Amino acid sequence: MRILSWVYLCLAYAFVLLPVVVLVVFSFQDGRLPVPPFQGFSLQWYEKILSDTGLMTALWHSALVAFVSSAVALVLGFLAAHALARVRLPGSVVLRGVLIAPMTVSYLIIALGLLTLFNQTGIKLSLWTAGIGHVVINLPLCFAMAYAAMGDHQKTAERAARDLGASEAQVLWLISAPMLAPALAAAFFLSVTFSWDEFIIAFLLTRFDVTLPVEIWSMLRSGLSPATNAVGSLVFLVSITAVVMAEVFVFRRAK
Amino acid sequence: MTASVSIQSVTQSYGAAIALNDVSLDIAAGEFVVLLGPSGCGKTTLLNLIGGFAEPVAGRILIGGRDMAGVGPAQRPTTTVFQDYALFPHMTLAQNVGFGLRMRGMGRDQRRAKAEEILDLVGLPAKSDRRPHELSGGQRQRVALARALAVAPDVLLLDEPLGALDLKLRRAMQDELKAIQRRVGTTFVHVTHDQEEAMAIADRIVVMNAGKIADLGPPREVYLHPKSLFSAAFMGEINQIPVQNGQSPFGPVIGTTGTLLIRPEAIGLSGTLPLGPCRIIDAAFFGTHLRAHVAPLAAPDLCLTVHLPPTSTVTDGEVLTLAATDFVFLEA
Repeated sequence: MRILSWVYLCLAYAFVLLPVVVLVVFSFQDGRLPVPPFQGFSLQWYEKILSDTGLMTALWHSALVAFVSSAVALVLGFLAAHALARVRLPGSVVLRGVLIAPMTVSYLIIALGLLTLFNQTGIKLSLWTAGIGHVVINLPLCFAMAYAAMGDHQKTAERAARDLGASEAQVLWLISAPMLAPALAAAFFLSVTFSWDEFIIAFLLTRFDVTLPVEIWSMLRSGLSPATNAVGSLVFLVSITAVVMAEVFVFRRAK
Repeated sequence: MTASVSIQSVTQSYGAAIALNDVSLDIAAGEFVVLLGPSGCGKTTLLNLIGGFAEPVAGRILIGGRDMAGVGPAQRPTTTVFQDYALFPHMTLAQNVGFGLRMRGMGRDQRRAKAEEILDLVGLPAKSDRRPHELSGGQRQRVALARALAVAPDVLLLDEPLGALDLKLRRAMQDELKAIQRRVGTTFVHVTHDQEEAMAIADRIVVMNAGKIADLGPPREVYLHPKSLFSAAFMGEINQIPVQNGQSPFGPVIGTTGTLLIRPEAIGLSGTLPLGPCRIIDAAFFGTHLRAHVAPLAAPDLCLTVHLPPTSTVTDGEVLTLAATDFVFLEA
């Protein structure tokens, strides 16, 4: 039985991780095709993509969109969470529900909805519009994580700060946000990963300046190449870093 | 640095529940007043109203003669020491204590000097760079006190500040609190449900019950001459003897119809109010006194609690002739 459970564990991990491992391994392929057999170790594809200005521009765009949209989503989510946790409003349950709702809607639907809206209002597609799309998908996440972290502990500290003469803005900035810092940081880094490798919204809501996943998509159309594996590995590396950062903050909070 | 507080016909309700019912109270500048009562009596509600965390539905609150209607906690000349301390965990002690001064625009160096001075006052010297989680409960309580005192409030509000401390520490902190109040001269309004704590620190005790003031006065007055059955019982153990037209179960006493109140320690072998011969039901040694239950022979159903001197020896069933030295009669 013991052996069986180990086998099961290995199979489960293999199922989850094998595609990523294959992707990373064949990004070092010394040959023209990212398929077995492995013909030797080479960094030529990394060299190629790192010197490709189109790809590097897309990478910079992705990073920009990820950080700015996550920051906006975090600020909005935190403010909404703080208000709903502190003030009793009529229909606050409904308000909470509506804030979380975008989580249940597929990215395609959100993208189509925004695309229609931008077309109607005459807003030109750009990195900004993709960023707005990413705020829409990440706001519910940031809101939910900030809301879950708010407790009575902060509430009395906020009361004390107000009692000592702090304005509402000072309470938020000097007391609430620092006390929730671990949860807010975790929400931020998770948002960054979601935005960083998001494709559908970025694909439909950008035009001339595109993000990295969209650039990879156009690379794939001209056929398989270890270069796409190399880019994919790079994307994966950034994502994993952000997730690890989020984990570090969540665990530090748990202690 | 100090100001009077005047509470004028204040009523507060939450929905249908009335938390305070037409309460009036005048607190002198520099006075140490304790609001005493069981949970739900309205004492914390009253404290919150003084601090500006809520507005009364009726009545006025004046601090230093100034009407506080519509003035928020930040603008009031009051600060609060909260029951759970409410320290800022991400700040050092100096930053915690200096927070109110920072909000008032004082510079960093001045703030730090002032914070260290106040931490010194509350008995926490040379700890200004620690963080709250490194401290014990009693030390956190001191920081909370220092933080509230740092801005030199006219009135300091204390919401069961010693409630979370163990008994020994609580008694030690009471003495210190009293000493600090004498030193700074600020008006202290302190909420507690512990009558011993109230007697230990108060200039004046305000006993509250069901949204009303049941009694008020100096500790001695409230304890020895309670003006209501509630405050008599809340301040400590007391014998309540029903009296009908001057007749008690054990014989004629003064008064008309009402309740005769006698503290257990006021009963002894001699006194001005004879209780007649009483049979000892049981007795237990308490160190400072011998606590006994007795029944007057004239009224065997009446059980009185008596504190006899610790040196006395009694046996169950023994008959002693007892009398009360001090008593209060409350008319029904």
